[in-house]
Amino acid sequence: MLRTTLAGLRARKLRLLLTAVAITLGVGFISGTFVLTDTMDKGVAKTFERSADKVDFAVFVGRDSAEKGVGAETLSRVRAVPGVTDVHGMVRGEAALVGKDGKPVGDIATLGMSVPTGRLLRYNVDKGRPPSSGRETVLDTDLAGREGFTVGDTVSILDDKNRPHRFTVVGLIDFGIDQEASYRGAVGFDPATATAMTGAKTFEEIDVAGGSRAAVDAAAGTSNLVLTGEELAAKMAREAGTDTKVIRTGLLLFGLVAMLVSALVIYNTFTILIAQRMRDMALLRCVGATRRQVFGGVMLESAVVGLAGSLLGLAAGVGLGTGAFAGVRALDDSLTGAGSSSASLTVRTIVVGLVIGVVVTVLSALLPARAATRVAPVAALRSELEPGSGRFRLGAPRAVIAAVLGAAGLGIGVLGSVVMAKGQAAMFVVAFAGGVFFLAVVAVMPALVRPLGRLAGAVPARLGGVPGRLAVANAQRAPRRTATTTIALTIGVGLMSLFAVVAASGKATATHKLEEQFPVDFQIRTQNEDGTVPRALAATLDRRPEFTHIIQMRSHRAQVAGRNADISTVTASALGTIVKPEMKEGTLDAARRPGAAMVDVDTARSLGLEAGETVQVKAARHTAPMRIAGVYAPGAGVDGIVVPEPDFTRYFGVQDPATIYVKTRNGVAATHARRIVEDAASPYVAAKVDSTAEFKESMTKAVDMLLMIFGGLLGLAIVIALFGIANTLTLSVVERTRESALLRALGLTKRQLRRMLSVEALVMAVIGAFTGVVLGVAFGWAATNAMATDSVFSLPYLQVVAFVVLAGLAGTAAAVMPARRAAKTSVVESLAHD
Amino acid sequence: MINTYTGPPGGAPVAGSVPAVTADGVSKVYGTGDAAVHALRGVGVAFATGAFTAIMGPSGSGKSTLMHCLAGLDTVTSGRIVLGDAEITGMSDRQLTMLRRDRVGFVFQAFNLLPTLTAEQNILLPLELSGHRPDREWFAHVVDVLGLGDRLRHRPNELSGGQQQRVACARAIVARPKVIFADEPTGNLDSRAGAEVLGFLRSSVREMGQTIVMVTHDPVAASYADRVVFLRDGEIVSEIVRPTPESVLDRLKALGA
Repeated sequence: MLRTTLAGLRARKLRLLLTAVAITLGVGFISGTFVLTDTMDKGVAKTFERSADKVDFAVFVGRDSAEKGVGAETLSRVRAVPGVTDVHGMVRGEAALVGKDGKPVGDIATLGMSVPTGRLLRYNVDKGRPPSSGRETVLDTDLAGREGFTVGDTVSILDDKNRPHRFTVVGLIDFGIDQEASYRGAVGFDPATATAMTGAKTFEEIDVAGGSRAAVDAAAGTSNLVLTGEELAAKMAREAGTDTKVIRTGLLLFGLVAMLVSALVIYNTFTILIAQRMRDMALLRCVGATRRQVFGGVMLESAVVGLAGSLLGLAAGVGLGTGAFAGVRALDDSLTGAGSSSASLTVRTIVVGLVIGVVVTVLSALLPARAATRVAPVAALRSELEPGSGRFRLGAPRAVIAAVLGAAGLGIGVLGSVVMAKGQAAMFVVAFAGGVFFLAVVAVMPALVRPLGRLAGAVPARLGGVPGRLAVANAQRAPRRTATTTIALTIGVGLMSLFAVVAASGKATATHKLEEQFPVDFQIRTQNEDGTVPRALAATLDRRPEFTHIIQMRSHRAQVAGRNADISTVTASALGTIVKPEMKEGTLDAARRPGAAMVDVDTARSLGLEAGETVQVKAARHTAPMRIAGVYAPGAGVDGIVVPEPDFTRYFGVQDPATIYVKTRNGVAATHARRIVEDAASPYVAAKVDSTAEFKESMTKAVDMLLMIFGGLLGLAIVIALFGIANTLTLSVVERTRESALLRALGLTKRQLRRMLSVEALVMAVIGAFTGVVLGVAFGWAATNAMATDSVFSLPYLQVVAFVVLAGLAGTAAAVMPARRAAKTSVVESLAHD
Repeated sequence: MINTYTGPPGGAPVAGSVPAVTADGVSKVYGTGDAAVHALRGVGVAFATGAFTAIMGPSGSGKSTLMHCLAGLDTVTSGRIVLGDAEITGMSDRQLTMLRRDRVGFVFQAFNLLPTLTAEQNILLPLELSGHRPDREWFAHVVDVLGLGDRLRHRPNELSGGQQQRVACARAIVARPKVIFADEPTGNLDSRAGAEVLGFLRSSVREMGQTIVMVTHDPVAASYADRVVFLRDGEIVSEIVRPTPESVLDRLKALGA
């Protein structure tokens, strides 16, 4: 008797612990997010403070000014202000560093920045010194490391006209908190050289040392804005802060999903707990406890669990946030600031963490607590039925709610995926529809447990022998309990499958478009926007037998119907054979006639052009009417206004192409073809060769990376759901002590008993994961449909199957602890009539 | 002093002379030192094959402990127990489980059946656990004798208490175990349902040659047995062969229960 009581107490401690774990994980994630982003903000702000100390005033271009930056005349005026000891006109433009392979490094050109000497130098010089002549340069430390350059090397850097210039590297500089510089890589010059190299006409900012506010203000004029050093630091910190804000919002969204799953787990735990203590509660009522007292008791218990879980969660959050901070800093210290920062645990973090944890727990326990008050005192005297068992009947109210929600979800889903204009808005509508439909699934889930359980249990029931069959039956015996337990897993797995399907479909769509509309193998272009590739290169390639098509894309600025627009053309023989834009209006043939043009949907909208109208084109050498013969969908390697090749030449004369596309003859090895293209391009430093295959591969990698990050973040919700399974199973084991003892007496071995519980967990996990996968794939399909008109749906079979299999395995793992407890229980003790 | 009963004297209703299960000097102690509780103190008793034996005694006399030890559900502190031709003391948990599966049948007072299984599935459970194919003819016979023919597809919560106990009896007997242990099988039943269950147990001994050991505190239930063994303070103190309710009651009074 005493031993069973003690066992019951132990079971209760474990149960409370398991409940608290759900809260701890959720709160830990949320508070960890705050700790991480606060620490990042603090680190960044500190770094800015240090660098802004060096600047007394900074001049920026006013918000209303038509200029892009501060003009050179302002610089000379400010320099002349009495008391000003130094000024620096900050230049920031493109200056592509040429790598050791003789081609510009990276996907986009490196930044060219001005680096002053003396007091106004706000970057840390890691090695060497700042540049002091037009022959010297400094490199971003990370960039130099990546490309294998160091102080003393000679490097080639392209100017804005893609002409190479040679420089001696005199220093390595940490451009530090500059996001763009750290992403693209940067090279630094003395201010005059920076202006020459980038072709910058204005300055980003003028930094001033000395002088007075009033005098600098007067010199800067009304069209410019003057900030003090502190104001500059605050402004920079604010701008960097938007990055942390995006990170925080994103992480908190996943935190909310985790809390939702936690809420389900807590709700389920308290429901079971109260069902099991029905007799205790009835006894309390017998000896005079009021309903309110019983209700209050349960509420208090939940508040204590919530508080304990949240406190643990805060501790976990500090650890998580600090760890993540170290991780982020290792990846990119422009986000974290360079200085040392201790974890920042603000009052807000503590309050938000505790409030969310306690409120979610108490709210989740509300319904079960209300059920507890309905216990009639006489129930203590009756021998109770097994709680939560029996066939689930879908009552009329629930059926109506489910039907309404289900119909609404489907209706909105159809609206988003089929009726609405394709694009982001339609995808959001589909996501909303998914949420609504999910609520319908929640409502009917108890009724689905039986059929789904039979489905999920088909294999284990057949192969698992008696324990397998019993386990499958057990998983279905308390439909509400199983439903809530599995739904928690459905959320995580559903979102995972949704992302997987959308990602796979996005990939498939992009690949399909490339193959269908634009099947080239290589493209040659420069890194800067207006750069061109010599047409001699096209001619060289055209002579090679390995290639079937050398396609030149030319582009030039002109005035169309009085507005600035780019007019482009593509090699005539390629249009319709290799370059196959999808025509929305008109035909490709019509658009190829002299005097005709086609325009992509977006440009047509922004310039107000319509198919069939004729507009005036004012080009450098020519003004002529142009008929808009067709409108096409973007994505076929061309965009903007496309005119026939002879017309283009008439308008602008003979031009170098912006891009050369190369199509390889069938049967020519890709590596061979690539070598020929690269050899041909090697004399032209700025001409960079990209292969479509590599592009596809890098796109696939990027998408997979994104999916992995999502998976990692959703993993928490899945882990919490697994704790939910362990929790439910633990409670069921306690409930079925007698039954397990009977089975053991009849000849079930310990191992079979353990297997029985593992299979039960497996079945529950598979029910949840399967439901999630079905919902995720269905709404992933709808979202894909909503994405674009020509989107291609792709089902990542392997991933989807893997989700279900992994969920099943994880469920089995969740059963390990409860199963061991069940097997350890003494048969004789459990058989004893209490 | 230890009373040892190696066999029933007289032996008229007893079929075989080889005991189905024997306890020899069995002691069971819970706890250690001053807190030690001696549930059984050197019990020696044999239960003849093909006989229906009742174990009686006041609360705390150790009758349930004795049954649990005999059935291989509990371990003994000292002494030996032989079930059929196997000594079960010293067997591992797995061996004991296999033994129970193949050679022992159980009827408990309550919670006899698995709620998720139908009556038929409950009856066949031990056979399925041991992987033996059920003898359909024998199954049909048992079901027929117990009058469960129209209840086989029902789940336990759709059956009356008496029907549930009869399903438990069918389960115990359908695997033809060496011994059936019945622990207060009529404790939760009204007298009519109880009489049905006891009548079946007795006829299974008489007509099918089954061996049954039953723990009870009800003199009427005990009177269905061929022999009654009395336990007090963990020792066997007396026995009656061919008992009647009156003789059992008288003996209990004499023992001061």
